[in-house]
Amino acid sequence: MSEYPILSIATFLPLVGAALVLLGRSDAFARWISLIITLATLVVCLPLYTGFDRTSSALQFVESANWIPAWEITYGMGLDGISMPFVLLAALLSVLCVGVSWTAVGSRVREFHAALLVTETAMIGLFCSTNLLLFFVFWELMVVPMFLLIGVWGGPARVASAVKFLLFTLAGSVLMLVGMVAIYHSCGSLDFVVLAEAGIPAEQQAWLFVAFLAAFAVKVPMFPVHTWLPDAHTEAPTAGSVILAGVLLKMGAYGLLRVSLPLFPLAVQQFLTPMLVLSVVAIVYGAYVTLMQTDVKRLIAYSSVSHMGFVTLGIFTLDQAGVEGAILQMINHGILSGALFLCVGMIYERTHTREIADYGGVARRAPIYASLLALFCLAATGFPGLNSFVGELLIVGAAFRSGVWWGALAIWGVVLGTVYMVWLFYRVVMGPTNPGLEGLKLELNAREVAILAPLAVLAVALGLAPDLVLSGLHASVGELLSTGGLR
Amino acid sequence: MSADMLVGLGLMVPELILIATALVLLLVARRVKGTQVPLALTVAGALSSAWFAGAASCAEAITGFGGMIVQDGYSQFFKVLIAMALLLGALLSVSSVKRDEIPRGEFHALLLLATAGMMISVSALDLLTLYLGLELTTLCSYVLVGIRVDRKSSNEAAIKYFLMGSFASAVLLMGISLIYGLTGSTEFTAIATALSGGAAQSGPLLGLAVGLVAAGLAFKVAAVPFHAWAPDAYEGAAAPVAAFMASGPKAAGLAALGRVSLVALGGASELLTTILLILAGASIVLGSVIALSQTNMKRLLAYSSIAHAGYALLGLGAGTSAGATATMTYAFFYVFMTLGAFGMVVALGKRGRNLDGYRGLAEQRPLAAACMLLFLLALTGIPLTAGFTAKFVVILAAVEAGHVALAVLAVLCSVVSAFVYMRVAVLMYMSPASESAPERFPVSVSAAIALAALVVLVGGILPGSLAPWAVFP
Repeated sequence: MSEYPILSIATFLPLVGAALVLLGRSDAFARWISLIITLATLVVCLPLYTGFDRTSSALQFVESANWIPAWEITYGMGLDGISMPFVLLAALLSVLCVGVSWTAVGSRVREFHAALLVTETAMIGLFCSTNLLLFFVFWELMVVPMFLLIGVWGGPARVASAVKFLLFTLAGSVLMLVGMVAIYHSCGSLDFVVLAEAGIPAEQQAWLFVAFLAAFAVKVPMFPVHTWLPDAHTEAPTAGSVILAGVLLKMGAYGLLRVSLPLFPLAVQQFLTPMLVLSVVAIVYGAYVTLMQTDVKRLIAYSSVSHMGFVTLGIFTLDQAGVEGAILQMINHGILSGALFLCVGMIYERTHTREIADYGGVARRAPIYASLLALFCLAATGFPGLNSFVGELLIVGAAFRSGVWWGALAIWGVVLGTVYMVWLFYRVVMGPTNPGLEGLKLELNAREVAILAPLAVLAVALGLAPDLVLSGLHASVGELLSTGGLR
Repeated sequence: MSADMLVGLGLMVPELILIATALVLLLVARRVKGTQVPLALTVAGALSSAWFAGAASCAEAITGFGGMIVQDGYSQFFKVLIAMALLLGALLSVSSVKRDEIPRGEFHALLLLATAGMMISVSALDLLTLYLGLELTTLCSYVLVGIRVDRKSSNEAAIKYFLMGSFASAVLLMGISLIYGLTGSTEFTAIATALSGGAAQSGPLLGLAVGLVAAGLAFKVAAVPFHAWAPDAYEGAAAPVAAFMASGPKAAGLAALGRVSLVALGGASELLTTILLILAGASIVLGSVIALSQTNMKRLLAYSSIAHAGYALLGLGAGTSAGATATMTYAFFYVFMTLGAFGMVVALGKRGRNLDGYRGLAEQRPLAAACMLLFLLALTGIPLTAGFTAKFVVILAAVEAGHVALAVLAVLCSVVSAFVYMRVAVLMYMSPASESAPERFPVSVSAAIALAALVVLVGGILPGSLAPWAVFP
C-alpha cells in the first residue's frame, strides 16, 4: 500500500489546477496547465490499477481524516473493485477532453479549463468517497461546472439545455438530500461500510430507495426522466458531451451500486420488477427514438439512453455475471460514447453541421477518420472481439436467467442498436461525397489521432481481454450481492 | 446604584457601546458631514461590541435587571452575529450614502441604535424587554427605509412599512397582554411555570395569545402571511439598508422567536410548533414561487429572504433545543450569504437593480461574477457553501421531529428557488453584456463582500466550524 494519500491527490490536484488556470493570464498557459494537470492526475491514478489487490473486496488505499467532528462525520476515501475502474476512466477522459478542446474552444479559455478541471475533481472524488455526505458533496459539485460548460460554451440552444439539466439534476438530488438526512437520523452515521453492516430499518427502506432513486435515475438516465439528456448532450461542447456521456451518466448507475443495493436490499427486491421494466423500456424505446434522429449528436445521445438501459438491466438482475457485465458495460460505454462524441466534435469543428444529411462519403476524404469511426461504431453495436460484446453478453445472459422476456427484449435492443449504428455509419461515411463537404479538409490531424488512439486501443483490448476490468470485480461484486441477502 | 443594576449594565456592554457610539455620532453629526468618520466610528463600535459579546463568559446564564435580560451562549451568539451584520451593512453603505447624499451621522446612528435594539431583544428574558428591543429596531428601520427623503419610492416604502409594522407591533402587544392576563407575568420562566403548572387555563384564550405573539414575531422575520411589507420596503430602501434589514433584524427576530417558543411558551408547544410549521411551509413555498416572476433584484432577494425565513423556522418548528440549534446555524449563515448577495447589488450600483443589469458580468468582472455565483449557490443550498450546511441542519431537525413531508416540500421548493438564482447566473455567464463594465468597487464594499464570501466558503467546506457556539442552552 502506498504511503501518501493517493486518492486525495488524484481528487484535488485538478482543483489546484483550476485555481492555477484562473490565476494565469493567457489562454495558452491555461491549455498547457490543464493538460499537464490532467496528465499528472492520470499518472497518479495508474498505481491504483497496478497496486490493486484483486482478491480482496475490502476498501483499498483508504484515507480517513476528521472532517466534521460535531456530527461525527469523517472525510473518508477508498476504492474497491467497483469504483477503481471509474477513477481511471474519469482521469483518462479528462485528458482527452483537454486535448479535444485545444482549438475547439476559443472564447473564455481560462474559465473553460477551470470548469473542466473542477468536473474532474468532482468525478474522481465521487468514485473515491466512502461516506454518503462526501459522495453527495461531489455529486452536487459536478452540477455547477457542468451547467456552465453547457450554458457558456454550448451550441445555439445551450442556455435552455443547461437550465433543464440543472433543474432535473437538482430535483433528483434534493430528494437524495432528504434521504441522506433520514439515514443520518436513524443510523447516526453516513459511512457506507458502517451503514451496510448496521442495516437500515426495514420499514424505511422503501421510501429511502425511492428518494435515492430519484437522484440516480435522473443521472443514469432511466426512462422516463431521460428527457434532459438529448438536449444537454447535443448542446454541450464536445468536451462537455464526453464528460456527460462518459462519466456523468455512470455516476447514477454507480450510485445504485454503491448506495441502493447495499443499503436498501429489501427495497431493491420489492422494486425489482418495476426497475427491470423501466430498464427494458429504456433499451427498446431509446433504440427506436435513436433510429429516428437526424442530428448526429442527438443520435449518439439517445443511444446512451438505450445503452444505459442495459446497465440498469444488468444491475437489477442481481446476478454476479449481470452486475459485472453492467459495470464492464459502463466502462465500455464511457469509452465508446466518449469516442463517438469526440469523433463528432472533430468533424463538427470542420463542417459546423450536425445534420446527418449534410454528410456522406467522408471515407473517401478522410480514411483514417472513417476507420476509427468504423471501429467505434462496430464496437458500440456489440461486435465480437470489441469491448461491448462481452458486457452485453454477460447482461443478456443474466437477463435470460431472470426471465425470458427480459432477455428477449434486451436482444431486440441489441439488434436495433446494430441497425442505428451501422445506418449512421453508412449515411455519414459511405456513399458518394456530399457536395457540401467539398473544399473542407476533413482528415484528422496528429493531435486528434492521438486523442482517439487510446480509446481505440482500449476498445480492442477490453474486447480481447475483458479480464482487465472483470478480474477486479469478482470479489467486490460478490461481497455486494451477499449483503442483505440480495441473491 | 444597586449591585443588580451594575451586573445588568455589565451584561449590556455590547449594547452600551453601540448606544454610546450612536449618541456621539448624533452630537458630532454636523462636524463630520462629508467625512468617513461616522463609518469609522460605526465599524469600531461594531467590532468592539462583537468582541465584548464574544469574549463574555457564557458558561452559565447570568441574569440582570431582576431577570429582565440574560447573558448566555444563545444571546452572545446572536449578539456577535448581529454586530457582524452591522459591520457589513455599514461597510456596504459607503457609495450609496455618498450618491444619495444621505446625512451620514444620522444614518450611522440609526444603524447603531437599530442594532442595539436587536441585541436587547436577543438577550431579553421578559416579553416587555423583548418588545422594547424589537420596537427600537423597527422604529429605526422605518426611518432608515425612508431616509432618502427626496425620493417618492422611498417615502412610499417607509409609510407602507410603518403602517404594517405598527399593526404588527400592536398585535404582538395584544398577545403579550393576553399572556400576562393568563399567567400573571411577562417573565419567560414565570410564564413557563404557570403554563406547565396548569395555573393558566389552556383554552381558546391561550391559543389566541400564542397566535398573536407568533404573528407579531412572524412579521419581524417576514414569514408568510406576514411578509407583504418586505418586498416593498426592500425595493424602496437604499440597497445597503435593504441588505441590513434582510440580515440583522431577521436574525434577531428568529432569536426572539426561538427563546419565546422554547422557554416561555413551552407549555403551549404543540399549538406553537403547528403555527411555526405552517408559517415555515407557507414562507418556503410562496417565497420561492413568487421570486420566480421578479425582475427587480431587491424584490427577488426579498422573496428569497422570505423563503429563507421559512427554512429557518423549520428548525424552531421541531420544538426542541436541537431544532433551535439548527435555526441558530441557519440564521448565522443566512446573514452572510444574503449580505453577500445584497452586497453585490450595492456594488453594481444602478446596474445591480434589475436582473438585466447582470448580463455579461462574468466577462466584464470575472471575480465579481464568481462571488455572486458563490452567494447564489449558497442561497440555493449547494454543498461546499454555507447554504448547504444551513439547509442540512434544518432538514435534519425537521426529519428528527418527524416532519418528513415538510422536509420534502422544503427541498423541492429549493429546486424552484434554484431556478430563480440560476436565472441570475445565466445572465451573468451566458448572456452578452448590454452595458459598459461597472466602475471599480469601493474598498469597503469589496471588503464586506470578501468577508461574506469567506464565511460562506469556510462554513461550507468545514460544516462543523460553527457547532461549538451554535448551541441552544
